[in-house]
Amino acid sequence: MVEQQLPVVQTAGLCKVFRDFWRRPRVEAVKDLNLEIRPGEVFGLLGPNGSGKTTTIKMLLGLLYPTRGRISLFGKSPSDVSVKARIGFLPEESYLYRFLVAHETLDYYGRLFRLPARVRKERADRLLDMVGLRHEAKRPIGEYSKGMARRIGLAQALMNDPEFLILDEPTSGLDPIGARQIKDVIRALGRKGKTILLSSHMLADVEDVCDRVTILYGGQQRAIGEVGDLLRQRDVTQITAPSLSPETLDEVKKLVSRLDKRDILEVSHPRVKLEDFFMKIVEEAQAANIKTSGARQGGAVPEFLEKATAATTDQVIEGLVEASAHNTEPVAAIAQPIIDPKAEAAKNVLNNLLGGGDTEEESPKKDVSQEAPKEPVAPAPKVAADQSVLDALMGDDDGKPPAESSDKS
Amino acid sequence: MSKIWAIARLMIAEGLRMKIALVFLVLIAAVVVGLPFSISGDSSLTGAVKSFMSYGLSATSLLLAMLTIFMSRSLSDEIVSQQIFLTVTKPIARWQFVLGKWVGMMVLNFAFLGASALTIYGMVHYIKATHPPSDKRYDAKELENEVLVARHATPVTLPDFSEDAELEFEHNVEQGRYANAPDTFDAKREKETLRIKHEMKWRVVGPGNGRVFEFEKILCDRSPGTFVQLRYKAEVTGYPPDEIFRAYWEFGDPYKNVPVYTTKTRHIVARFHTIRIPADAIADDNTLQVRFFNQNRFEGEQQWGNVMEFRSSDPLEILFTVGSFEWNFVRLLCLMMFKLMFLGAVALLCTTVFSFPVACLASFTVYVIAGMRSFITESMELASNDFSGIFGSVSGFFLQSFTHFYNLLHWIIPDFGRYDAVEQFVSGRSVGLAWVLQGFGDLVLIKTVIVLGLAMLLFHRREVAEVSF
Repeated sequence: MVEQQLPVVQTAGLCKVFRDFWRRPRVEAVKDLNLEIRPGEVFGLLGPNGSGKTTTIKMLLGLLYPTRGRISLFGKSPSDVSVKARIGFLPEESYLYRFLVAHETLDYYGRLFRLPARVRKERADRLLDMVGLRHEAKRPIGEYSKGMARRIGLAQALMNDPEFLILDEPTSGLDPIGARQIKDVIRALGRKGKTILLSSHMLADVEDVCDRVTILYGGQQRAIGEVGDLLRQRDVTQITAPSLSPETLDEVKKLVSRLDKRDILEVSHPRVKLEDFFMKIVEEAQAANIKTSGARQGGAVPEFLEKATAATTDQVIEGLVEASAHNTEPVAAIAQPIIDPKAEAAKNVLNNLLGGGDTEEESPKKDVSQEAPKEPVAPAPKVAADQSVLDALMGDDDGKPPAESSDKS
Repeated sequence: MSKIWAIARLMIAEGLRMKIALVFLVLIAAVVVGLPFSISGDSSLTGAVKSFMSYGLSATSLLLAMLTIFMSRSLSDEIVSQQIFLTVTKPIARWQFVLGKWVGMMVLNFAFLGASALTIYGMVHYIKATHPPSDKRYDAKELENEVLVARHATPVTLPDFSEDAELEFEHNVEQGRYANAPDTFDAKREKETLRIKHEMKWRVVGPGNGRVFEFEKILCDRSPGTFVQLRYKAEVTGYPPDEIFRAYWEFGDPYKNVPVYTTKTRHIVARFHTIRIPADAIADDNTLQVRFFNQNRFEGEQQWGNVMEFRSSDPLEILFTVGSFEWNFVRLLCLMMFKLMFLGAVALLCTTVFSFPVACLASFTVYVIAGMRSFITESMELASNDFSGIFGSVSGFFLQSFTHFYNLLHWIIPDFGRYDAVEQFVSGRSVGLAWVLQGFGDLVLIKTVIVLGLAMLLFHRREVAEVSF
């Protein structure tokens, strides 16, 4: 029995018209937006520049007032002060006070949440650890690079252990390490049951971390749905396997031709993602203790960012949340792909069919924060690429959909 | 309260670290410490201290007003640089944010005003110790008695001249002096004219004549060894070539069982002078009788035929000590602080509506209007009278419009001059607690609360992410 919960965000017919000095309509930034963000999901707000993403977020936060339509956050108005205690916000730029040092910045925002001094200090320390800036905690923010300021921006957004996190272009201005860390944090928080609204035009970021997305263009909603559903190419099948000999490939081709009456279109070696390759180089440098005045490898997501109370919608998610709520591993370790047991079994069957190849690359990634890999890490396999073919190979013909969790690698 | 204090702390940190406040602090310090070396007053110790305190306090007041206006840019800066996005998306109400900014400004003002006051106090003692003496003992005593003290003033009690005016009016009627008076003749006004004539006559003392002055409500310590002061200024006609008039005084009512003291004075004409009177000359009913004789009783000196006039514009008064200089200073600082509190609220109101340059100009305008309100009001009334018959003309129309606008402002902008106690303080007069309480009620409880409330309301309704100029 699925427990129905109040949506975290609900908008109905939301419109925002910017007017000129004479109150004449100048720009209609958001038009008739209907949005629902459910508890515990990572929701992506996609769109090109000027599509209304930031305006929507500003209306959700009460920084702008809707021209028409209705917004509810946790069932209340965005201007309700009590609602804001449950929200964390990272704006598209790091609007921090240049004259405060990092620790004071977090302490200031902690005071606005009326956190006791001890809690403020503890959380500030842990968050600075998490964003890799503990060693720069006494430097004025004005001296920080843009990326370092973004990290402090993220830390302040988490100061209150928010149930709902709004991230506007979170990876903007960050180097690949920072971007990766932010994504890891989002994943980790998502697993802890936090509701996250991620606004970005960095499509890869959204694809990597979001459960559902909506795409805005010209202030209007053009598409909405689960990432897997929106992106799945149902007319193409991709099988990822360890490097195969020409003889084996011939056998596979014959097998596919015999069983499916069609030819394989392309056989190639997959490329490692540039982000993964870059991370490997940096991790090697860090392992060699090369000095830097910038941000360092981030630490674990602090324990105080407990699971959100409104996160559970059914028993499966409850189980996932419970499992990750006690996870104290470093961020990089938390960011391991979730391996669906069914897909794993399918791969084993495929390996057996193909002659029992080495499955080392298929195993979950090691903790990159502790040990640099010796070879470029292969991209996490899209294990649910086409479950029907795997099912056919396994002799399973029931046509059930793949587990959703495996889409997020 | 903790949220308001968090905003206030941020404001203070910003003021200090962005060096806005520090620049003003340095300016205040330079003025206060530098003044004694650049001014000397009338070369006497009292003159030097009075000039220093007067300029020092006025400069402090002006610089802190400027600081308050400049500090308020913090709010408009936060909106322009969008730092406010992170604050107002936290669980803090808009009114708490505005109040926090105001509290932060006031804490800085309070600290700077306190520092400035301590410096002025220290410098007064420095001047006292180092000023080149003309008559060191006399100078120091004069300073203690007339400046470094809090005295209350009781003006002379005017006799009721309305009866005399009534009698003269009736006599004139009987004599038929108003028989040919025009239709516009107003008996009431005529009686008032006659009353003033009698009063002026009473204020003039001819050569060899005397006058009795009564003072009431002198609520002071009357124990032996304590003194009160008679302060007066006499316009003298036909004065001697040395410009010094001689007079004879008696203090104490012989019919009220108090000792009577006498003194002969040689005083420069047309200047204020002070005579110390033993306090036991004051009767049990807290009255003091002073008898003045326009006579030269110095032996061997000739009687000069000069006429003395004690004008109503230069009040004859008895001054008596009611408190210490230090507490008087504190009460003066309170009045200065109340004005800054109002100005801070105005500055914040302006920054919630306008961007900084416009807000700064608007706040400064309010400061100037508040400081010159009496003058502006008088000027407006005079100008309105001049134009009253030609409302149809363009200049008349604009003047009338401006007058209406000014009357609107008049309602909310206080008269700072009414609470300007520097002159009072510098002349060793008590800045009364009632005055301070009245200032608190008017400037803080009414005007500041209204302006701050308006600022909160406007800021609450404002879309902080909307671009404005």
